[in-house]
Amino acid sequence: MLFNSLTFAVFLPLVFMLYWFVFRHSLKRQNVLVLLASYVFYGWWDWRFLGLILLSTLVDFFVGLQLRKTETPKQRKFYLLLSLCVNLGLLGFFKYYHFFIESWIDAWSLFGIQMHASTLEIILPVGISFYTFQTLSYTIDVYRKQLEATRDFLQFATFVAFFPQLVAGPIERASHLLPQFANARRFDADFAYSGISLIIWGLFKKVVVADNCAFFVNQIFEGYGHLNSAELFLGVLLFGIQIYGDFSGYSDIAIGVGRLFGFSLQTNFAFPYFSRSISEFWRRWHISLSSWFRDYVYIPLGGSRGSLGMHARNICVVFLVSGLWHGANWTFLVWGAVHAFLFLVPLLFKVSQNHGRETQLAGYQFPSMLLTFLMVCLAWVFFRADSVPIAWDMLGKIFSFEGHSLGVFYKNSKSLLFAVITVVGIFVLWLYEFLAVQGNQQEVRLSRYHAIFIGVLIVFMGVYKNPSDFIYFQF
Amino acid sequence: MTAFLKRIGIIVLGIFGVSMLVSMGSLWALREGDFYKPSFLVNGVSTSDFDYIVLGASTGLTTLNTKVIDSVLHIEGINLSMDDTSISSQYLMLEHFLASGKHADICVLASSASSYDAISIHISDNDYRFLPYVSRGYISDYYASFSGTAAGVSGLSKWLPMAGVGYYNAELFYPSLISLVAPQHRNRFDSKGNYTYPVGSGASKRILSRHPKTIYFKNTYLAKIKALCDSHDIQLVCYVSPLEQQEAILEQTSYDVINHSTLLKDSRYFYDAIHVNTLGRHVASLQFSEDFRSYVISESFDKLRMTE
Repeated sequence: MLFNSLTFAVFLPLVFMLYWFVFRHSLKRQNVLVLLASYVFYGWWDWRFLGLILLSTLVDFFVGLQLRKTETPKQRKFYLLLSLCVNLGLLGFFKYYHFFIESWIDAWSLFGIQMHASTLEIILPVGISFYTFQTLSYTIDVYRKQLEATRDFLQFATFVAFFPQLVAGPIERASHLLPQFANARRFDADFAYSGISLIIWGLFKKVVVADNCAFFVNQIFEGYGHLNSAELFLGVLLFGIQIYGDFSGYSDIAIGVGRLFGFSLQTNFAFPYFSRSISEFWRRWHISLSSWFRDYVYIPLGGSRGSLGMHARNICVVFLVSGLWHGANWTFLVWGAVHAFLFLVPLLFKVSQNHGRETQLAGYQFPSMLLTFLMVCLAWVFFRADSVPIAWDMLGKIFSFEGHSLGVFYKNSKSLLFAVITVVGIFVLWLYEFLAVQGNQQEVRLSRYHAIFIGVLIVFMGVYKNPSDFIYFQF
Repeated sequence: MTAFLKRIGIIVLGIFGVSMLVSMGSLWALREGDFYKPSFLVNGVSTSDFDYIVLGASTGLTTLNTKVIDSVLHIEGINLSMDDTSISSQYLMLEHFLASGKHADICVLASSASSYDAISIHISDNDYRFLPYVSRGYISDYYASFSGTAAGVSGLSKWLPMAGVGYYNAELFYPSLISLVAPQHRNRFDSKGNYTYPVGSGASKRILSRHPKTIYFKNTYLAKIKALCDSHDIQLVCYVSPLEQQEAILEQTSYDVINHSTLLKDSRYFYDAIHVNTLGRHVASLQFSEDFRSYVISESFDKLRMTE
């Protein structure tokens, strides 16, 4: 079920009504309703893959209980390994099987040895990367004794399958979300209204900003060979804005829906394109994943402790794994490597990157903000291109500085119309976010009249006939 | 909870209210202008009695130049074809034509060769152009007879115009702004409803062979068009436009058909495989006029006999 679908527009109010009007006196019944709603939400896409979520839930619940019982380090390690093997095994099979088989065959072909492998038709279950990491955080935290394992299967199953953030995050930590299923919920009108405000803003980012950008981005990335530097450069910038609108829009809706049911989900995007350095960008972009890698990969590897070389190694590992998490393709690995490089350069030259997230923007910081935005957008080329050679080719064409006509944006009246809508959409996005940043807000808050204004823009500027799928569904 | 629902209610009502007003204004502006064919027929065409009309998809729109046909045969016709439509849309256009108080002696159905047998459960891509008239029963009934999101949204627009105008915002809302400023502006067709594709830079190449394509005239909307024509004393003539790679083979049929699928023997007349360019249109329109002459004469003779 998609957030921007009519089905969801019926589903959400229905579940909301049942939750607050029928089951409000029983925490258990509310949890049962949320669990059922979550399974319906996921099963709407393909009910067969509900088995995977259930398997993951059962294994991690069992592992949690065993870790609670035993103090023997060997046994604790065994249970942790069991959880890692099952979760990462499923993720590896569904997401990376083809990639590793094909890479293996390609590697041998370099030595002139031709191999053939029978390939399986494997469908990637939506959201597997997200809920796998969420359940892993539970097991690891219990293993580290940072969290007490729950004995309530219903609460745990609801935590794993919680529908607002099940398929594209934010990746919640068990220590943050799980206790919320154990506590009685009271309806808070202001909190719920902030959720509605986020839902409207998230929808605007998705259907107005991202989907209009997609109109050009798809044309430019598919026909890059016939386009000039200026067109490609703008296409790359538009993809940067598209992926932001798409993914952060989804996160906003997820957080907003969570709030309607009295749940607080963590902020996933904090106006990342206002960052003044790459390290600040990563403190603002996909925060739930970045912090996951920080806590479960970077710090266990040693973090910033030790020599500069060790520190650099740890950063490289995190970015490469993060790249691979996004998809089973060399393009994502290179994208991760590029970010590792961009992150390391100021570190090696001891350039300060310590901008607080809450700091207001000053005029003199505009160049560093623009430079960061450009670097991030150019790195997105690897993320979006079909292969690494194509990405290099595109970058080569951009930096050849040949041609300045922007014909792709006005080749016919439809393109011109979409160009105008896209520019207006981006301007509105930028304006609201700029005002939020200057007001030290963590998110865009829409007053009643602003909510109506943005709602009307969604109706008349959104893309409904040929909407794009949420980009992060493929991860 | 009450305070929350009140707050949400105001926002929802606000969005609905403003969107409904804008949408109704948008459909009104389109109804008052000439932007799309359905409103052009109502506002931009003063003649109400035509010798013939051309209904069709892009093939009809770009092949039969009514200006040429009119000048050769000294008659009056209009091209009501719309690109990206099927025979069901042409049936709707005929209904719309008649409901707008117009009449024609002959209806030339110039749909694409594949359309004569195809039947779709979904509305055509450009059927939204009838949305400004969705309050008319035959239009809303038409949308209701199809399944799919587009048909559902279009049908819903009778009561909730924001559904259709929002869904087709690029196709309806923004053009309505143009209609508001310039009501006479037409969307890529001339004062007689024609449009043409430019001559490309491709070299001249003799067409030596074509794949045969049998047309069975099985599309159920064809029978509906025939019935509607009969009930309004209109003669129906089917037309198969020139094709670059196919030859239309006609099965035994009761329909009058002019088959020009193999008329043009050189690729320089074509814009693409199924559309002619300006050169091809001129040749095809001249030949059509000749083939069409007998229908016009017979129709005039019938008229004269009835007058006597």
